[in-house]
Amino acid sequence: MNALRAEFRKIITTKIVFWLTAFSLAFTALTVLLSVYLVPTSARVVNSSMLLQVPEYVNSIVAACGNASIFVIIIGIIGMTSEYRHMTITATFLASPRRSPVVLAKAVAYAIVGALVGVLNFCLSLSLTYITLAGKEHAPIEMSQALHTLIGVIIGFALGAIVGVSVGALIRNQVAAVIAALVFLLLVQPLLNAFVEWTTAWLPGGALDSVMNLTYRQGQLSSGLLPSWGGGLVLLGYAAVLGAIASFTTLKRDIT
Amino acid sequence: MTGNSVGLEVRSLTKVFGRGDGVRAVSDLSFRVEPGRVTGFLGPNGSGKTTTLRCLLGLVTPTSGQTLVGDQPYRELHDPLHVVGAALEASGFHPGRTAVGHLGVVAASAGIARSRIFEVLELVGLADAGHRKVGGYSLGMRQRLSLATALLGDPSVLILDEPANGLDPEGIAWLRNFLRSLAAEGRTVLISSHVLSEVQLTVDDVVIIRKGELVSYGSLQALSTGMNAHVIVRSPDSGRLGEALRSVPAASMTTQENGAFLVTGISAAEIGEIAFSHNIMLHELHTQEHDLEAVFLELTSSEGGAA
Ligand SMILES: Nc1ncnc2c1ncn2[C@@H]1O[C@H](COP(=O)(O)OP(=O)(O)O)[C@@H](O)[C@H]1O
Ligand SMILES: [Mg+2]
Repeated sequence: MNALRAEFRKIITTKIVFWLTAFSLAFTALTVLLSVYLVPTSARVVNSSMLLQVPEYVNSIVAACGNASIFVIIIGIIGMTSEYRHMTITATFLASPRRSPVVLAKAVAYAIVGALVGVLNFCLSLSLTYITLAGKEHAPIEMSQALHTLIGVIIGFALGAIVGVSVGALIRNQVAAVIAALVFLLLVQPLLNAFVEWTTAWLPGGALDSVMNLTYRQGQLSSGLLPSWGGGLVLLGYAAVLGAIASFTTLKRDIT
Repeated sequence: MTGNSVGLEVRSLTKVFGRGDGVRAVSDLSFRVEPGRVTGFLGPNGSGKTTTLRCLLGLVTPTSGQTLVGDQPYRELHDPLHVVGAALEASGFHPGRTAVGHLGVVAASAGIARSRIFEVLELVGLADAGHRKVGGYSLGMRQRLSLATALLGDPSVLILDEPANGLDPEGIAWLRNFLRSLAAEGRTVLISSHVLSEVQLTVDDVVIIRKGELVSYGSLQALSTGMNAHVIVRSPDSGRLGEALRSVPAASMTTQENGAFLVTGISAAEIGEIAFSHNIMLHELHTQEHDLEAVFLELTSSEGGAA
Protein backbone atom coordinates (compact mmCIF):
# COMPACT_ATOMS: atom_id res chain seq x y z
CA MET A 1 0.00 0.00 0.00
CA ASN A 2 2.81 2.40 0.90
CA ALA A 3 4.56 1.49 -2.33
CA LEU A 4 1.42 2.34 -4.30
CA ARG A 5 1.02 5.66 -2.49
CA ALA A 6 4.68 6.43 -3.25
CA GLU A 7 4.07 5.74 -6.94
CA PHE A 8 1.22 8.26 -7.06
CA ARG A 9 3.42 10.81 -5.27
CA LYS A 10 6.10 10.25 -7.90
CA ILE A 11 3.56 10.84 -10.65
CA ILE A 12 2.09 14.04 -9.27
CA THR A 13 5.46 15.57 -8.36
CA THR A 14 6.72 15.54 -11.95
CA LYS A 15 5.22 16.91 -15.15
CA ILE A 16 5.84 14.12 -17.62
CA VAL A 17 2.50 12.34 -17.20
CA PHE A 18 0.70 15.64 -17.54
CA TRP A 19 2.48 16.47 -20.79
CA LEU A 20 2.10 13.04 -22.34
CA THR A 21 -1.59 13.13 -21.47
CA ALA A 22 -1.84 16.51 -23.14
CA PHE A 23 -0.12 15.09 -26.24
CA SER A 24 -2.48 12.13 -26.26
CA LEU A 25 -5.46 14.49 -26.21
CA ALA A 26 -4.03 16.54 -29.05
CA PHE A 27 -3.51 13.32 -30.99
CA THR A 28 -7.09 12.22 -30.36
CA ALA A 29 -8.42 15.60 -31.44
CA LEU A 30 -6.40 15.39 -34.65
CA THR A 31 -7.63 11.87 -35.35
CA VAL A 32 -11.26 12.86 -34.90
CA LEU A 33 -10.87 15.93 -37.10
CA LEU A 34 -9.16 13.93 -39.82
CA SER A 35 -11.83 11.20 -39.65
CA VAL A 36 -14.58 13.75 -40.10
CA TYR A 37 -13.05 16.19 -42.57
CA LEU A 38 -10.70 13.96 -44.51
CA VAL A 39 -12.82 10.90 -45.00
CA PRO A 40 -10.40 8.19 -46.11
CA THR A 41 -10.51 7.42 -49.78
CA SER A 42 -9.00 4.02 -49.45
CA ALA A 43 -12.12 2.85 -47.65
CA ARG A 44 -14.05 0.03 -49.14
CA VAL A 45 -17.10 2.18 -49.30
CA VAL A 46 -17.11 3.44 -52.84
CA ASN A 47 -18.46 6.92 -52.37
CA SER A 48 -16.44 8.50 -49.63
CA SER A 49 -18.93 11.24 -48.83
CA MET A 50 -21.38 8.48 -47.97
CA LEU A 51 -19.04 7.14 -45.31
CA LEU A 52 -20.41 9.45 -42.63
CA GLN A 53 -23.73 7.71 -43.11
CA VAL A 54 -22.28 4.31 -42.27
CA PRO A 55 -23.05 3.67 -38.57
CA GLU A 56 -19.83 1.68 -38.04
CA TYR A 57 -17.79 4.56 -39.41
CA VAL A 58 -19.41 7.10 -37.12
CA ASN A 59 -18.87 4.79 -34.18
CA SER A 60 -15.28 4.43 -35.19
CA ILE A 61 -14.79 8.20 -35.03
CA VAL A 62 -15.83 8.13 -31.38
CA ALA A 63 -13.54 5.16 -30.90
CA ALA A 64 -10.67 7.08 -32.50
CA CYS A 65 -9.49 7.96 -29.01
CA GLY A 66 -8.25 4.38 -28.82
CA ASN A 67 -5.40 5.27 -31.14
CA ALA A 68 -3.96 7.39 -28.33
CA SER A 69 -3.25 4.22 -26.39
CA ILE A 70 0.32 4.37 -27.67
CA PHE A 71 0.80 7.34 -25.32
CA VAL A 72 -0.06 5.34 -22.21
CA ILE A 73 2.41 2.67 -23.28
CA ILE A 74 5.04 5.40 -23.42
CA ILE A 75 3.84 6.80 -20.08
CA GLY A 76 4.34 3.36 -18.53
CA ILE A 77 7.79 2.95 -20.05
CA ILE A 78 8.93 6.38 -18.90
CA GLY A 79 7.41 5.87 -15.44
CA MET A 80 9.59 2.82 -14.95
CA THR A 81 12.78 3.88 -16.73
CA SER A 82 12.99 7.39 -15.29
CA GLU A 83 13.82 5.72 -11.97
CA TYR A 84 17.01 4.43 -13.55
CA ARG A 85 17.65 7.53 -15.57
CA HIS A 86 17.65 9.79 -12.53
CA MET A 87 18.86 7.06 -10.17
CA THR A 88 15.84 7.52 -7.94
CA ILE A 89 15.69 3.74 -8.10
CA THR A 90 18.24 3.79 -5.25
CA ALA A 91 15.79 5.51 -2.92
CA THR A 92 12.97 3.32 -4.21
CA PHE A 93 14.79 0.06 -3.52
CA LEU A 94 16.08 1.33 -0.18
CA ALA A 95 12.48 1.78 0.91
CA SER A 96 11.29 -1.46 -0.70
CA PRO A 97 14.25 -3.85 -0.94
CA ARG A 98 12.11 -6.56 -2.51
CA ARG A 99 12.08 -5.47 -6.09
CA SER A 100 9.31 -7.31 -7.89
CA PRO A 101 6.58 -5.86 -5.63
CA VAL A 102 7.88 -2.42 -6.58
CA VAL A 103 7.23 -3.13 -10.25
CA LEU A 104 3.85 -4.57 -9.38
CA ALA A 105 2.91 -1.43 -7.43
CA LYS A 106 4.04 0.66 -10.37
CA ALA A 107 1.96 -1.44 -12.76
CA VAL A 108 -1.13 -0.92 -10.61
CA ALA A 109 -0.50 2.82 -10.29
CA TYR A 110 0.04 3.23 -14.01
CA ALA A 111 -2.98 1.08 -14.83
CA ILE A 112 -5.07 3.58 -12.89
CA VAL A 113 -3.33 6.50 -14.62
CA GLY A 114 -3.86 4.78 -17.96
CA ALA A 115 -7.56 4.29 -17.29
CA LEU A 116 -7.92 7.98 -16.41
CA VAL A 117 -6.07 9.04 -19.54
CA GLY A 118 -8.43 6.75 -21.47
CA VAL A 119 -11.50 8.37 -19.95
CA LEU A 120 -10.19 11.84 -20.83
CA ASN A 121 -9.46 10.83 -24.39
CA PHE A 122 -12.88 9.22 -24.73
CA CYS A 123 -14.66 12.31 -23.43
CA LEU A 124 -12.70 14.44 -25.87
CA SER A 125 -13.37 12.28 -28.88
CA LEU A 126 -17.07 11.89 -28.08
CA SER A 127 -17.66 15.59 -27.60
CA LEU A 128 -15.54 16.50 -30.62
CA THR A 129 -17.46 14.01 -32.76
CA TYR A 130 -20.72 15.62 -31.69
CA ILE A 131 -19.46 19.10 -32.42
CA THR A 132 -17.91 18.35 -35.79
CA LEU A 133 -20.77 16.23 -37.08
CA ALA A 134 -23.38 18.83 -36.16
CA GLY A 135 -25.00 20.18 -39.29
CA LYS A 136 -23.70 17.31 -41.40
CA GLU A 137 -25.67 14.44 -42.70
CA HIS A 138 -24.53 11.47 -40.68
CA ALA A 139 -25.51 8.20 -39.12
CA PRO A 140 -26.52 8.63 -35.48
CA ILE A 141 -23.94 8.35 -32.74
CA GLU A 142 -25.07 5.27 -30.88
CA MET A 143 -24.75 5.74 -27.15
CA SER A 144 -24.71 2.03 -26.45
CA GLN A 145 -21.75 1.66 -28.81
CA ALA A 146 -20.06 4.67 -27.25
CA LEU A 147 -20.45 3.13 -23.82
CA HIS A 148 -18.92 -0.04 -25.17
CA THR A 149 -16.02 1.98 -26.49
CA LEU A 150 -15.61 3.73 -23.13
CA ILE A 151 -15.33 0.44 -21.25
CA GLY A 152 -12.93 -0.87 -23.88
CA VAL A 153 -10.80 2.25 -23.71
CA ILE A 154 -10.61 2.16 -19.91
CA ILE A 155 -9.46 -1.44 -19.92
CA GLY A 156 -7.29 -1.08 -23.00
CA PHE A 157 -5.45 2.00 -21.74
CA ALA A 158 -4.95 0.43 -18.33
CA LEU A 159 -3.47 -2.68 -19.96
CA GLY A 160 -1.36 -0.57 -22.31
CA ALA A 161 0.18 1.25 -19.36
CA ILE A 162 0.91 -2.07 -17.64
CA VAL A 163 2.63 -3.36 -20.77
CA GLY A 164 4.64 -0.12 -20.84
CA VAL A 165 5.80 -0.62 -17.24
CA SER A 166 6.85 -4.17 -18.00
CA VAL A 167 8.83 -3.04 -21.05
CA GLY A 168 10.55 -0.44 -18.86
CA ALA A 169 11.30 -3.07 -16.22
CA LEU A 170 13.04 -5.15 -18.86
CA ILE A 171 14.87 -2.37 -20.69
CA ARG A 172 16.29 0.02 -18.10
CA ASN A 173 17.67 2.53 -20.58
CA GLN A 174 14.90 5.05 -21.16
CA VAL A 175 15.82 6.11 -24.66
CA ALA A 176 16.40 2.53 -25.74
CA ALA A 177 13.10 1.37 -24.26
CA VAL A 178 11.05 4.15 -25.85
CA ILE A 179 12.71 3.71 -29.22
CA ALA A 180 12.32 -0.06 -29.08
CA ALA A 181 8.63 0.32 -28.32
CA LEU A 182 8.07 2.88 -31.07
CA VAL A 183 9.99 0.91 -33.66
CA PHE A 184 8.03 -2.18 -32.77
CA LEU A 185 4.62 -0.53 -32.72
CA LEU A 186 5.06 1.71 -35.74
CA LEU A 187 7.30 -0.40 -37.96
CA VAL A 188 7.72 -4.05 -37.05
CA GLN A 189 4.13 -4.69 -36.09
CA PRO A 190 2.49 -3.19 -39.19
CA LEU A 191 4.93 -5.05 -41.43
CA LEU A 192 4.27 -8.33 -39.68
CA ASN A 193 0.54 -7.72 -39.84
CA ALA A 194 0.74 -6.96 -43.55
CA PHE A 195 2.77 -10.01 -44.50
CA VAL A 196 1.62 -12.56 -41.96
CA GLU A 197 -2.00 -11.75 -41.47
CA TRP A 198 -2.77 -14.00 -38.52
CA THR A 199 -0.26 -12.12 -36.36
CA THR A 200 -2.61 -9.12 -36.26
CA ALA A 201 -4.79 -10.67 -33.59
CA TRP A 202 -1.90 -11.71 -31.40
CA LEU A 203 0.42 -8.72 -31.46
CA PRO A 204 -0.17 -5.94 -28.89
CA GLY A 205 -1.70 -3.53 -31.41
CA GLY A 206 -4.35 -5.94 -32.57
CA ALA A 207 -4.97 -7.13 -29.04
CA LEU A 208 -5.48 -3.52 -27.95
CA ASP A 209 -7.82 -2.97 -30.89
CA SER A 210 -9.93 -5.92 -29.95
CA VAL A 211 -10.15 -4.79 -26.32
CA MET A 212 -11.26 -1.36 -27.50
CA ASN A 213 -13.42 -2.54 -30.38
CA LEU A 214 -11.57 -0.47 -32.92
CA THR A 215 -13.17 -1.87 -36.02
CA TYR A 216 -12.24 0.84 -38.50
CA ARG A 217 -8.53 1.41 -38.45
CA GLN A 218 -7.11 3.77 -41.03
CA GLY A 219 -10.36 3.47 -42.92
CA GLN A 220 -10.06 -0.29 -43.18
CA LEU A 221 -12.46 -2.61 -41.52
CA SER A 222 -10.09 -4.76 -39.59
CA SER A 223 -11.03 -8.35 -39.25
CA GLY A 224 -9.74 -11.50 -37.66
CA LEU A 225 -9.30 -9.91 -34.25
CA LEU A 226 -9.73 -11.84 -31.02
CA PRO A 227 -12.80 -11.25 -28.88
CA SER A 228 -12.30 -8.36 -26.44
CA TRP A 229 -11.60 -10.59 -23.46
CA GLY A 230 -9.14 -12.57 -25.53
CA GLY A 231 -7.26 -9.40 -26.50
CA GLY A 232 -7.17 -8.39 -22.84
CA LEU A 233 -5.68 -11.72 -21.85
CA VAL A 234 -3.08 -11.47 -24.62
CA LEU A 235 -2.00 -8.05 -23.31
CA LEU A 236 -1.86 -9.27 -19.73
CA GLY A 237 0.16 -12.19 -21.02
CA TYR A 238 2.68 -9.87 -22.67
CA ALA A 239 3.01 -7.86 -19.45
CA ALA A 240 3.36 -11.00 -17.35
CA VAL A 241 6.00 -12.54 -19.61
CA LEU A 242 8.01 -9.31 -19.90
CA GLY A 243 7.71 -8.75 -16.15
CA ALA A 244 8.75 -12.30 -15.35
CA ILE A 245 11.79 -12.08 -17.61
CA ALA A 246 12.66 -8.73 -16.03
CA SER A 247 12.42 -10.15 -12.52
CA PHE A 248 15.01 -12.78 -13.38
CA THR A 249 17.30 -10.49 -15.33
CA THR A 250 17.17 -6.69 -15.30
CA LEU A 251 15.62 -6.37 -11.85
CA LYS A 252 18.31 -8.54 -10.30
CA ARG A 253 21.08 -6.31 -11.54
CA ASP A 254 23.21 -4.24 -9.22
CA ILE A 255 22.16 -0.68 -8.60
CA THR A 256 25.37 1.32 -8.91
CA MET B 1 14.77 5.83 16.51
CA THR B 2 13.53 2.35 17.27
CA GLY B 3 15.23 2.37 20.67
CA ASN B 4 17.38 -0.72 20.49
CA SER B 5 20.81 -0.27 19.06
CA VAL B 6 21.71 -1.88 15.77
CA GLY B 7 25.22 -2.54 14.54
CA LEU B 8 26.47 -3.39 11.08
CA GLU B 9 28.55 -6.30 10.01
CA VAL B 10 30.44 -7.12 6.84
CA ARG B 11 31.58 -10.74 6.65
CA SER B 12 34.13 -11.91 4.10
CA LEU B 13 32.54 -9.69 1.51
CA THR B 14 33.75 -10.07 -2.05
CA LYS B 15 32.30 -8.31 -5.05
CA VAL B 16 33.47 -8.85 -8.59
CA PHE B 17 31.72 -6.75 -11.20
CA GLY B 18 31.22 -8.34 -14.58
CA ARG B 19 31.72 -11.93 -15.55
CA GLY B 20 34.85 -14.01 -15.17
CA ASP B 21 37.86 -11.78 -14.54
CA GLY B 22 35.80 -8.71 -13.92
CA VAL B 23 36.63 -5.79 -11.67
CA ARG B 24 37.39 -7.04 -8.17
CA ALA B 25 35.93 -4.10 -6.27
CA VAL B 26 35.85 -5.67 -2.80
CA SER B 27 37.95 -8.58 -1.66
CA ASP B 28 37.28 -10.73 1.41
CA LEU B 29 36.43 -7.70 3.54
CA SER B 30 35.27 -8.11 7.13
CA PHE B 31 34.52 -5.53 9.81
CA ARG B 32 31.90 -4.51 12.32
CA VAL B 33 30.39 -1.11 12.99
CA GLU B 34 29.38 -0.50 16.59
CA PRO B 35 26.39 1.48 17.85
CA GLY B 36 26.99 4.75 19.65
CA ARG B 37 30.12 5.49 17.66
CA VAL B 38 30.99 7.23 14.44
CA THR B 39 32.96 4.94 12.19
CA GLY B 40 34.97 6.29 9.29
CA PHE B 41 35.20 4.08 6.24
CA LEU B 42 38.29 5.27 4.46
CA GLY B 43 40.15 4.53 1.30
CA PRO B 44 41.25 6.26 -1.89
CA ASN B 45 38.91 6.68 -4.83
CA GLY B 46 38.03 3.38 -6.41
CA SER B 47 38.98 1.35 -3.33
CA GLY B 48 35.50 -0.16 -3.01
CA LYS B 49 33.80 1.99 -0.37
CA THR B 50 30.64 2.74 -2.32
CA THR B 51 30.40 -0.86 -3.47
CA THR B 52 30.64 -2.11 0.13
CA LEU B 53 27.97 0.33 1.30
CA ARG B 54 25.68 -0.63 -1.57
CA CYS B 55 26.12 -4.29 -0.61
CA LEU B 56 25.19 -3.43 2.97
CA LEU B 57 22.03 -1.79 1.65
CA GLY B 58 20.93 -4.65 -0.58
CA LEU B 59 21.50 -2.65 -3.77
CA VAL B 60 24.45 -4.71 -4.94
CA THR B 61 24.49 -8.49 -4.66
CA PRO B 62 27.78 -9.79 -3.22
CA THR B 63 29.77 -12.31 -5.21
CA SER B 64 30.39 -14.02 -1.89
CA GLY B 65 30.16 -13.16 1.78
CA GLN B 66 27.45 -11.45 3.74
CA THR B 67 26.40 -8.09 5.05
CA LEU B 68 24.16 -7.71 8.06
CA VAL B 69 22.14 -4.94 9.62
CA GLY B 70 21.68 -6.02 13.23
CA ASP B 71 21.35 -9.73 12.62
CA GLN B 72 19.71 -9.82 9.22
CA PRO B 73 20.43 -8.83 5.63
CA TYR B 74 19.03 -5.45 4.58
CA ARG B 75 16.66 -7.06 2.09
CA GLU B 76 14.93 -8.88 4.90
CA LEU B 77 14.34 -5.84 7.09
CA HIS B 78 10.67 -5.38 7.73
CA ASP B 79 10.63 -1.60 7.78
CA PRO B 80 14.04 -0.62 6.41
CA LEU B 81 13.81 3.17 6.47
CA HIS B 82 13.07 3.14 10.19
CA VAL B 83 16.18 1.05 10.82
CA VAL B 84 18.71 2.42 8.34
CA GLY B 85 18.96 5.85 6.78
CA ALA B 86 21.33 6.02 3.86
CA ALA B 87 22.75 8.81 1.73
CA LEU B 88 24.68 7.40 -1.17
CA GLU B 89 26.95 9.06 -3.63
CA ALA B 90 25.15 9.47 -6.94
CA SER B 91 21.84 8.45 -5.50
CA GLY B 92 19.62 10.54 -7.58
CA PHE B 93 16.95 13.11 -7.40
CA HIS B 94 14.53 13.83 -10.17
CA PRO B 95 15.61 17.32 -11.22
CA GLY B 96 12.00 18.40 -11.66
CA ARG B 97 11.01 17.54 -8.10
CA THR B 98 11.26 19.93 -5.21
CA ALA B 99 12.95 18.82 -2.01
CA VAL B 100 9.52 18.58 -0.41
CA GLY B 101 8.30 16.53 -3.37
CA HIS B 102 11.27 14.19 -3.17
CA LEU B 103 10.96 13.70 0.57
CA GLY B 104 7.21 13.25 0.12
CA VAL B 105 7.80 10.29 -2.17
CA VAL B 106 10.21 8.67 0.29
CA ALA B 107 7.93 9.42 3.23
CA ALA B 108 4.98 7.84 1.44
CA SER B 109 7.00 4.74 0.64
CA ALA B 110 7.69 4.15 4.33
CA GLY B 111 4.44 5.44 5.80
CA ILE B 112 6.17 8.42 7.43
CA ALA B 113 4.04 11.43 8.43
CA ARG B 114 4.40 14.44 6.13
CA SER B 115 5.18 16.71 9.08
CA ARG B 116 8.50 14.89 9.36
CA ILE B 117 9.50 16.28 5.94
CA PHE B 118 9.66 19.78 7.29
CA GLU B 119 11.42 18.63 10.45
CA VAL B 120 14.29 17.07 8.52
CA LEU B 121 14.53 20.02 6.12
CA GLU B 122 14.87 22.23 9.17
CA LEU B 123 17.48 19.89 10.67
CA VAL B 124 19.76 20.07 7.63
CA GLY B 125 19.21 23.76 7.03
CA LEU B 126 17.19 23.49 3.83
CA ALA B 127 13.91 24.82 5.19
CA ASP B 128 13.97 27.86 2.93
CA ALA B 129 14.81 25.92 -0.23
CA GLY B 130 12.27 23.14 0.30
CA HIS B 131 9.98 24.28 -2.47
CA ARG B 132 12.68 24.83 -5.05
CA LYS B 133 13.42 22.28 -7.74
CA VAL B 134 16.33 20.01 -6.94
CA GLY B 135 17.65 20.55 -10.48
CA GLY B 136 18.80 23.99 -9.37
CA TYR B 137 20.52 22.83 -6.19
CA SER B 138 24.24 23.15 -5.56
CA LEU B 139 26.28 20.07 -4.69
CA GLY B 140 26.26 21.08 -1.04
CA MET B 141 22.48 21.45 -1.05
CA ARG B 142 22.11 18.01 -2.62
CA GLN B 143 24.30 16.58 0.11
CA ARG B 144 22.04 18.16 2.69
CA LEU B 145 18.96 16.82 0.95
CA SER B 146 20.53 13.35 0.88
CA LEU B 147 21.13 13.63 4.58
CA ALA B 148 17.55 14.81 5.12
CA THR B 149 16.32 11.79 3.17
CA ALA B 150 18.42 9.50 5.34
CA LEU B 151 17.01 11.05 8.50
CA LEU B 152 13.34 10.82 7.46
CA GLY B 153 12.63 7.53 9.19
CA ASP B 154 14.49 8.52 12.38
CA PRO B 155 16.70 5.46 11.88
CA SER B 156 19.02 3.73 14.37
CA VAL B 157 21.73 3.44 11.74
CA LEU B 158 23.06 6.11 9.39
CA ILE B 159 25.15 5.19 6.38
CA LEU B 160 26.60 8.18 4.57
CA ASP B 161 28.77 7.91 1.48
CA GLU B 162 31.22 10.82 1.21
CA PRO B 163 28.87 13.18 3.05
CA ALA B 164 31.47 15.94 3.26
CA ASN B 165 31.87 16.17 -0.52
CA GLY B 166 30.71 19.53 -1.74
CA LEU B 167 30.30 21.00 1.73
CA ASP B 168 32.19 24.15 2.64
CA PRO B 169 34.36 24.13 5.80
CA GLU B 170 31.47 25.57 7.76
CA GLY B 171 29.22 22.79 6.49
CA ILE B 172 31.80 20.17 7.40
CA ALA B 173 32.04 21.54 10.93
CA TRP B 174 28.26 21.51 11.18
CA LEU B 175 28.12 17.94 9.89
CA ARG B 176 30.73 16.89 12.44
CA ASN B 177 28.71 18.17 15.37
CA PHE B 178 25.54 16.78 13.94
CA LEU B 179 26.94 13.28 13.47
CA ARG B 180 28.59 13.34 16.90
CA SER B 181 25.26 14.20 18.48
CA LEU B 182 23.54 11.38 16.60
CA ALA B 183 26.14 8.89 17.82
CA ALA B 184 25.79 10.26 21.34
CA GLU B 185 22.11 9.29 21.16
CA GLY B 186 23.25 5.71 20.68
CA ARG B 187 22.93 5.57 16.91
CA THR B 188 25.30 3.79 14.63
CA VAL B 189 26.99 6.12 12.17
CA LEU B 190 29.11 4.94 9.26
CA ILE B 191 30.61 7.56 6.97
CA SER B 192 32.95 7.04 4.06
CA SER B 193 35.59 9.41 2.83
CA HIS B 194 38.67 9.39 0.67
CA VAL B 195 40.29 12.11 2.78
CA LEU B 196 41.08 11.25 6.36
CA SER B 197 41.47 14.86 7.45
CA GLU B 198 37.88 15.51 6.44
CA VAL B 199 36.54 13.10 9.04
CA GLN B 200 39.46 12.86 11.45
CA LEU B 201 37.74 14.98 14.07
CA THR B 202 34.41 13.23 13.59
CA VAL B 203 35.15 9.53 13.84
CA ASP B 204 35.81 7.22 16.78
CA ASP B 205 36.70 4.18 14.73
CA VAL B 206 38.23 3.70 11.33
CA VAL B 207 38.06 1.00 8.72
CA ILE B 208 40.68 1.62 6.06
CA ILE B 209 40.64 -0.23 2.76
CA ARG B 210 42.83 -0.25 -0.30
CA LYS B 211 41.92 -1.98 -3.55
CA GLY B 212 38.99 -3.62 -1.83
CA GLU B 213 41.07 -5.12 0.96
CA LEU B 214 41.19 -4.24 4.62
CA VAL B 215 44.42 -2.53 5.67
CA SER B 216 43.53 -1.16 9.08
CA TYR B 217 40.62 -1.50 11.41
CA GLY B 218 40.17 -0.21 14.93
CA SER B 219 39.81 2.95 16.96
CA LEU B 220 41.30 6.14 15.58
CA GLN B 221 43.37 6.37 18.73
CA ALA B 222 44.89 2.94 18.17
CA LEU B 223 45.76 4.00 14.65
CA SER B 224 47.63 7.07 15.83
CA THR B 225 49.46 5.38 18.73
CA GLY B 226 50.24 2.32 16.69
CA MET B 227 52.54 4.26 14.47
CA ASN B 228 56.16 5.15 15.29
CA ALA B 229 56.57 8.55 16.85
CA HIS B 230 58.97 11.01 15.23
CA VAL B 231 61.25 13.08 17.38
CA ILE B 232 62.84 16.21 16.01
CA VAL B 233 66.16 17.11 17.52
CA ARG B 234 68.55 19.92 16.54
CA SER B 235 71.93 20.81 17.84
CA PRO B 236 74.59 23.38 16.80
CA ASP B 237 76.97 20.43 17.00
CA SER B 238 75.07 18.15 14.68
CA GLY B 239 78.08 16.08 13.74
CA ARG B 240 78.62 14.79 17.26
CA LEU B 241 74.90 14.42 17.88
CA GLY B 242 74.55 12.31 14.76
CA GLU B 243 77.41 10.13 15.84
CA ALA B 244 75.91 9.64 19.28
CA LEU B 245 72.50 8.75 17.90
CA ARG B 246 73.87 6.37 15.32
CA SER B 247 75.42 4.35 18.11
CA VAL B 248 71.93 3.57 19.48
CA PRO B 249 70.76 0.43 17.67
CA ALA B 250 67.00 1.09 18.15
CA ALA B 251 67.14 4.53 16.61
CA SER B 252 66.86 5.33 12.96
CA MET B 253 67.11 8.84 11.66
CA THR B 254 67.08 11.14 8.71
CA THR B 255 68.61 14.55 8.40
CA GLN B 256 66.36 17.50 7.61
CA GLU B 257 67.23 20.58 5.61
CA ASN B 258 67.89 22.79 8.62
CA GLY B 259 70.33 20.25 10.05
CA ALA B 260 67.85 18.77 12.49
CA PHE B 261 67.43 15.03 12.79
CA LEU B 262 64.12 13.23 12.51
CA VAL B 263 64.47 10.24 14.78
CA THR B 264 62.25 7.24 15.18
CA GLY B 265 62.56 4.27 17.50
CA ILE B 266 63.52 6.12 20.66
CA SER B 267 61.70 8.73 22.71
CA ALA B 268 62.54 12.40 23.19
CA ALA B 269 63.53 11.67 26.80
CA GLU B 270 66.05 9.07 25.70
CA ILE B 271 67.51 11.42 23.13
CA GLY B 272 67.80 14.14 25.78
CA GLU B 273 69.62 11.73 28.04
CA ILE B 274 72.05 10.73 25.30
CA ALA B 275 72.80 14.36 24.49
CA PHE B 276 73.27 15.17 28.16
CA SER B 277 75.65 12.28 28.70
CA HIS B 278 77.70 13.32 25.65
CA ASN B 279 77.63 16.91 26.73
CA ILE B 280 75.98 18.05 23.51
CA MET B 281 73.95 21.25 23.55
CA LEU B 282 70.46 21.01 22.04
CA HIS B 283 68.53 23.86 20.45
CA GLU B 284 65.43 21.89 19.76
CA LEU B 285 63.90 18.64 21.01
CA HIS B 286 60.28 17.67 20.55
CA THR B 287 57.99 14.85 19.58
CA GLN B 288 56.26 15.52 16.32
CA GLU B 289 52.45 15.51 16.29
CA HIS B 290 51.11 12.38 14.65
CA ASP B 291 50.31 13.16 11.10
CA LEU B 292 47.37 10.84 10.55
CA GLU B 293 47.02 11.92 6.98
CA ALA B 294 50.57 10.71 6.34
CA VAL B 295 49.75 7.37 7.95
CA PHE B 296 46.65 7.13 5.87
CA LEU B 297 48.51 7.91 2.68
CA GLU B 298 51.17 5.39 3.56
CA LEU B 299 48.59 2.71 4.34
CA THR B 300 46.67 3.29 1.17
CA SER B 301 49.41 4.05 -1.30
CA SER B 302 49.78 1.45 -3.97
CA GLU B 303 53.18 0.11 -2.89
CA GLY B 304 53.13 0.05 0.83
CA GLY B 305 51.20 -0.47 3.90
CA ALA B 306 49.25 -3.70 3.71
CA ALA B 307 48.71 -4.75 7.31
N1 LIG C 1 28.78 -1.14 -11.79
C1 LIG C 1 30.11 -1.33 -11.88
N2 LIG C 1 30.62 -2.06 -12.90
C2 LIG C 1 31.94 -2.27 -12.99
N3 LIG C 1 32.84 -1.79 -12.13
C3 LIG C 1 32.41 -1.06 -11.10
C4 LIG C 1 31.02 -0.78 -10.92
N4 LIG C 1 30.87 -0.02 -9.80
C5 LIG C 1 32.12 0.17 -9.31
N5 LIG C 1 33.05 -0.45 -10.08
C6 LIG C 1 34.50 -0.49 -9.85
O1 LIG C 1 34.74 -0.99 -8.58
C7 LIG C 1 35.83 -0.32 -7.97
C8 LIG C 1 35.39 0.26 -6.64
O2 LIG C 1 34.53 1.33 -6.88
P1 LIG C 1 33.79 2.11 -5.71
O3 LIG C 1 33.16 1.12 -4.80
O4 LIG C 1 32.90 3.11 -6.31
O5 LIG C 1 35.01 2.81 -4.96
P2 LIG C 1 35.00 4.08 -4.00
O6 LIG C 1 33.60 4.35 -3.56
O7 LIG C 1 35.90 3.68 -2.87
O8 LIG C 1 35.57 5.21 -4.78
C9 LIG C 1 36.30 0.69 -8.98
O9 LIG C 1 37.37 0.13 -9.67
C10 LIG C 1 35.13 0.89 -9.87
O10 LIG C 1 35.55 1.24 -11.16
MG1 LIG D 1 32.56 6.11 -3.75
